[in-house]
Amino acid sequence: MRDVVVHVNGLAKTFRVKQKAAGLRGSVRSLWHTEEKEVTAVSDITFSLEKGEMLAFIGPNGAGKSTTIKMLTGILYPSAGQASVLGYTPWKDRRKLGYHVGSVFGQKPQLWYHLPAEDTFRLFARIYELDMGEFQKRRDFLVESFQIADLLQTPVRKLSLGQRMKCEIAASLLHRPRIIFLDEPTIGLDVVAKQQIRDAIRYLNEQEQTTIFLTSHDAGDIESLCKRVVIINHGRLIYDNSTSALKRQYLRRKIIDVRFAEPLTAPFVLPCVETLKQGTYGVKLEFDGREIPVETVVQQIMAAQSCQDITIADPPLEEIIREIYKK
Amino acid sequence: MLLQLRRTTTKYAAITMTNLQNQLAYVWEALNRAVFIVLIMFVFIQLWTAVYESQGATEIAGLSLAATIWYFLIAEVMELGKIRHDERISEEVKDGSVAYTLTRPYNYLAYHFFNGLGETAVKMTLIFLLGLPLVVYYAGWPTIQPQHALPVLLVAALAMLLDFFVFSIIGLLAFVTEDTFSFRLIYQKLVFILGGLMLPLDFLPGWLQPLARVLPFNLTTYAPAKLFVAFTWAQFWQILALQAIWLTIFGLVLLRQYQWATRQLAVNGG
Repeated sequence: MRDVVVHVNGLAKTFRVKQKAAGLRGSVRSLWHTEEKEVTAVSDITFSLEKGEMLAFIGPNGAGKSTTIKMLTGILYPSAGQASVLGYTPWKDRRKLGYHVGSVFGQKPQLWYHLPAEDTFRLFARIYELDMGEFQKRRDFLVESFQIADLLQTPVRKLSLGQRMKCEIAASLLHRPRIIFLDEPTIGLDVVAKQQIRDAIRYLNEQEQTTIFLTSHDAGDIESLCKRVVIINHGRLIYDNSTSALKRQYLRRKIIDVRFAEPLTAPFVLPCVETLKQGTYGVKLEFDGREIPVETVVQQIMAAQSCQDITIADPPLEEIIREIYKK
Repeated sequence: MLLQLRRTTTKYAAITMTNLQNQLAYVWEALNRAVFIVLIMFVFIQLWTAVYESQGATEIAGLSLAATIWYFLIAEVMELGKIRHDERISEEVKDGSVAYTLTRPYNYLAYHFFNGLGETAVKMTLIFLLGLPLVVYYAGWPTIQPQHALPVLLVAALAMLLDFFVFSIIGLLAFVTEDTFSFRLIYQKLVFILGGLMLPLDFLPGWLQPLARVLPFNLTTYAPAKLFVAFTWAQFWQILALQAIWLTIFGLVLLRQYQWATRQLAVNGG
């Protein structure tokens, strides 16, 4: 039997935003005359999420991702539509839901800044009314999963961003949430920290069937974690399909930036690879991963000339969304 | 039932204790801020000594110079030690961290109360201890009777709660206006003038005193300070009754406002 954890039906949210003309004149005028514009952040979205699913909920900035998360965690009241999370209506049963839901907002800290993360962990144990013996076991499990044993006694302000994020996510998992909302958890992190966080999230999902609702601008997060992708743009749901289908259709293209040790003397051309830009010391290339594997392209580049640096990236999410719109 | 009560108590106690630990993490900064009291008290002492000398009086409106000096120390402890969580709520709305604090399984305002309590305990203790030597040097030890200590503490506790209610009403306005600075400023100025922070209510013009006494502002500052220096049971009961009335009024307002504000909330940030 399907165990639906999240069900959203026709959910919408509009905000009234004050408008003010630029400059001093606009400021003076706004004292007695305020104009308001209605902004639609989320418009009529419908989807469901099952227990243990890892969903990537993606879209460009201002698409309505965070607004959706905030409605699903009960902070915002919707303008229209319904939502059910674990059988609760989030904005009506916010406190009850709080015991079963975890959230991490990558750009907003929740750990106490001047205290070691261990102190926030202990506070959360009390807030979520955990049995202290149970808490200790859970803490040890998370410490091992996120490899944060040597970070727990250091004041949070002294941790690097990657170290802090690992502690932030672990803190959100202490109360064994059945669903966790991760809003750009890997933003600003280096490759190693990103990978460690992805590994820990995947491990948790496998071990405990925790449902993951992830928003990210990083195609790597989506590829390595989620089997399903929902894309939202201008508040509307424009894509809901498997990650493999998205990859087949849109993530197959890769972009490579190369910096050479010596200046280039002739146009840089490789078979099955498009040269997007060429400078004296570098080139920007794009290719289709189905036509030619990444390894082959890298080998060809290195065979052609000595390299100082090579960066491989996915096309920006905005580009993928543009392509989806074109179809 | 008992287990739930124990869990709830430990939950809020843990919030207070964590804030207390946080305060102690940078106690020197808190100490630096509290040093301000020495300057204020010194100015007040000089000013009121000059006033009493110019009047050639040992008492003004029933208060001796020593009592007036002690009055100002207690009034300042109450004022500077307040839980100013409206600023914190405003910050939470501006930086979006309300997305965390509003979704946890506790009462949002109770969370702010117990969170502020840790900070207030540190601030009040520091301000009192720093102001004490100066006040004792100029005014001697206080004359409060031991049997009056508990009633004064009760009034002080209710004063803090009343203040918390007012700052909560101001803070929740941030859910709509984001910034609450102007509202806080108006309230603080009213406490300055009608709350007895600049001068005891007894020194106000005769026509203003009855009005100032029934308004809520004096109940947060003047009331505990006055009872500390000149305790009478009649005034204690009168203050207690007024505190109960205003707590009920503000409590009801707060209840309605909380339901309204959480519906209006618009959180910043992507």
